[in-house]
Amino acid sequence: MKISLMQAFMIGLIYYLGNSTWLVGVGFYTVYRPLVAGTLVGLVLGDPVQGAIVGATINLIYLGFISAGGAIPGDPCLAGTLGTALAIASGLEPEAALALAVPIGLLGTLIWFGRMTVCAIFVHWADAYAEKGDTRGVMLMNVIPSQAFLFTISFIPVFLAALYGPSAVEAAISFLGQKVLHTLIVIGGMMPALGIALNMRAILKGNTIAYYFLGFFLSVYLKLDIVAVGAFAAIAAYLHMQFAKGGIADGKTA
Amino acid sequence: MEKRHKKLRKWDIIKSFFLWLTFSHACYNYERLQASAFAHAMAPIIKKLYDTKEEIAQGLKRHLVFFNTEPNVGAIIHGIVIAMEEERANGAPITDEAINSVKTGLMGPMAGIGDTITQGTITPILLAFGIGLAVEGNLIGPILYVILIAAAIIGIAYFMWMQGYRLGRKAVEQLLESNMFNNIITAAGVLGCTVIGALTGKFVNLSTKLTLSVGEAQINVQADIFDKIMPKLLPLLLTLGVFWLVKKGKNPITIMLYIVAFGVIGSVIGVF
Repeated sequence: MKISLMQAFMIGLIYYLGNSTWLVGVGFYTVYRPLVAGTLVGLVLGDPVQGAIVGATINLIYLGFISAGGAIPGDPCLAGTLGTALAIASGLEPEAALALAVPIGLLGTLIWFGRMTVCAIFVHWADAYAEKGDTRGVMLMNVIPSQAFLFTISFIPVFLAALYGPSAVEAAISFLGQKVLHTLIVIGGMMPALGIALNMRAILKGNTIAYYFLGFFLSVYLKLDIVAVGAFAAIAAYLHMQFAKGGIADGKTA
Repeated sequence: MEKRHKKLRKWDIIKSFFLWLTFSHACYNYERLQASAFAHAMAPIIKKLYDTKEEIAQGLKRHLVFFNTEPNVGAIIHGIVIAMEEERANGAPITDEAINSVKTGLMGPMAGIGDTITQGTITPILLAFGIGLAVEGNLIGPILYVILIAAAIIGIAYFMWMQGYRLGRKAVEQLLESNMFNNIITAAGVLGCTVIGALTGKFVNLSTKLTLSVGEAQINVQADIFDKIMPKLLPLLLTLGVFWLVKKGKNPITIMLYIVAFGVIGSVIGVF
């Protein structure tokens, strides 16, 4: 499948939108995530369901994604948009797309670095307006130059990559053969372990590791899906809070 | 010297809230991080509260200094600062330093608490549900995720902003004393741990192709040994292994490279 000029344009816009400021503060939590970006890219390419499947798979490695103080380990949005576009256009399996999305996500940190560096200039422009007591100037300087710059460095590379990337990926894979595809799928199967482990570091508090195994067993032995596990998890959380308040369990634990 | 009593209307505070919510990371940068966004949100408040050009200029400059916090839970700081600016405009002896020390004193702790709550627990838990539905080819997954996360983020930010304005500097003490943050983090941690345990069982994939020949018999290591002990044993061991590396402080990118090397070597020698 070939990605048309118009489709590549839309994919570039999705990536800019995910990074931009225009979604009342929730862009970072929505379009920035591969689950959502992938679905939108799928919509543009005429297959939102496949987009959701690929995007969700890629999102697994970014489950533990926390951007703190401007430090960013990889770029979920670039991995989500381009990874999904490449997967749908080249007919890749989601796991193989996940493995490809990893280096793409790392490249995305360059865009982030460029933005964080250059936007420092515009704060000085805001300083100049502040000196004059011009509130409107200060407000505009926070948005206009930074977003114009962000648009340039985010839209253009993604537009070009969506336009020319799929044929390059197809050529590379037909040249390297099935063995490489199998390796990609093996790697893609393991990568979610990293996303999960990074998230565990953020939310594991002392004795809560037992609940991790509870969830694991509910999934592998009872074959419950995630929403069903969530229902049991909510009960577990409620009971945990009741006991922690000084009930039965307070005696000898801690 | 009589000063006119200045009172902000509710709409002024909501407008400032939306400016922050929308533009907090518009011009995010390494030098002063969210400084220009803080000034952006305060600009209409400053304009409303102060009369002379000098006062307005001073107010704008006051909020163009280095600032960085988690934008939603940290919104309590903005609420407090608006309350302080209002008192100051009405003649209370609040200095630039007092306002600055509230901002710099609270931005660190609020970033820590906020990142743990929004990015560390709420987002991955809701994502897990969305991903679980989406991989089955169900579009409700991404749609439900977007609705729930947007409601959670905007709800938290609005609540914190208004608490900050209403209670002023007492707000933080009250919230910390009420143990609300700790309770949310603990309960969400239990929920989150359970859910990511299920994710491990469902989405981490690793199996071996090894076979052993014992006399005449061929033993398929995966089907005859690992699956008999516990389904998904290898993915569990892999995840715990990666978690151990993460806890040891290994860089995520280094761990990625380990996984890639592991997968390539395993595939080449035919183990996976």
